[in-house]
Amino acid sequence: MDFNLSEDQRLLKDEIIRFAKAELSPGARERDELHQFPREQWDKCGEMGLQGLVVPPEYGGSGLDALSAATALEALGYGCDDGGLVFAICAHLLACVVPIWKHGTEAQKQRYLPDLSKGRLIAVNAMTEPAGGSDAFAMSTRAVADGDHFVVNGAKTFSSNGPVADLAVLYANTNPDKAYLGGVTAFLVERDTPGFIKGQTFHKMGLRSCAIGELVFEDARVPRSAVLGAVGGGGPIFAQSMEWERVCLVAAHVGTMQRLLEQAVDYARTRKVFGKRIGEFQAVSHAIADMKVRLEASRLLVYHAASRLSSGRTVGMDASITKLFVSEALVKSAMDTVQILGGYGFMTEYGVERTLRDAVGGTIYSGTSQMQRNIIAGWLGL
Amino acid sequence: MSNDQIKTTIREFIVKEFLPGEDPEDLDASVRLVSDGILTSLASLRLVAFLEERFGVTLEAHEVDADHLDNIDDITALVAERSR
Repeated sequence: MDFNLSEDQRLLKDEIIRFAKAELSPGARERDELHQFPREQWDKCGEMGLQGLVVPPEYGGSGLDALSAATALEALGYGCDDGGLVFAICAHLLACVVPIWKHGTEAQKQRYLPDLSKGRLIAVNAMTEPAGGSDAFAMSTRAVADGDHFVVNGAKTFSSNGPVADLAVLYANTNPDKAYLGGVTAFLVERDTPGFIKGQTFHKMGLRSCAIGELVFEDARVPRSAVLGAVGGGGPIFAQSMEWERVCLVAAHVGTMQRLLEQAVDYARTRKVFGKRIGEFQAVSHAIADMKVRLEASRLLVYHAASRLSSGRTVGMDASITKLFVSEALVKSAMDTVQILGGYGFMTEYGVERTLRDAVGGTIYSGTSQMQRNIIAGWLGL
Repeated sequence: MSNDQIKTTIREFIVKEFLPGEDPEDLDASVRLVSDGILTSLASLRLVAFLEERFGVTLEAHEVDADHLDNIDDITALVAERSR
């Protein structure tokens, strides 16, 4: 399997890195402190086509295959210091745009994909419920058929992009006798739908520039034309979107790990104590060597899983292995970088502590590390 | 591969993976895999991955439902149709 990047992939990566460093990273620390969603930077990403990387050009996207998209997101994770913005783009693209591209009707694709791909519309995946969490399909949000509409009642929480979203990819139970297969239906719910209410916006440990909040549905009437896929077919649509998210979101982590490694190496080669550069002490050099090993292993996992996504096959176990390993590797490498930079790593000015706080979220969203282990064990027949 | 061979292969996989210890002959077309809870969310993903790998077919996410997967005959028909 050859993972050498093509000329086009290299050029795209270079372009995204230049763009991210110049246009996205400035002000990241202030936005983190203010819990501020960077709409201006989001719009610039839209002009670059980042929110529609995998969407076919006829719907306004960049038309990349999954592996090329993963390398593009790797570049974004490397060049962009604003982890919340990177997460917001990935949540929008992978958990919302992908399922619409894969399962939308022609009318739905024409209506939404061009604006979603250019960032003119922001989407939220409305799945997690207050009592659900890891047990995602034990949902209480109900959609009851009523003529040409469904009437939706329920609440969703921890919804990434929720407070700023124009469109929700909502999962609701349409058959209480069933669950994953046949019980859940996906809907596309527009912001101004009566009964669709934005709840509180949460303050968070990390990823602060991504707005995350509650969504409430009170007798919200959603037309049948807003069903994504088939009635009762929402479970596999959600599962597929999670495969994309688990693989491609952590592609951005690979870029972030590359950035951390370079920061750690630079510091270790210049900072002197006891008359020696700290990189000459094995306690430091071995930690950095382990960071390099984690980076390269993570990159291979992402590229391999992403290449399988493009084949259209079910990649559930690969996605869980990739997500589990890379998200935990990023936390470890971020922690090591803080430690190597010492007091500077602990100060907000250098951004490493922010990267560490952002990294912790990666072991929770898209299924916790514990759930990924459960899934992997399940694929092994345990 | 004939439909009977496809059916046997699928039956053996389901029994081995999701009904260990059961006699494959007991898993006839009357057993409702989804409705009776044999195919959970993860089990259905594993079954689809097996079908794709073993028979070289590709199934779309919207085809992973009770209409296509609820019994051995339906799964066999889906694979046979997709293999042509």
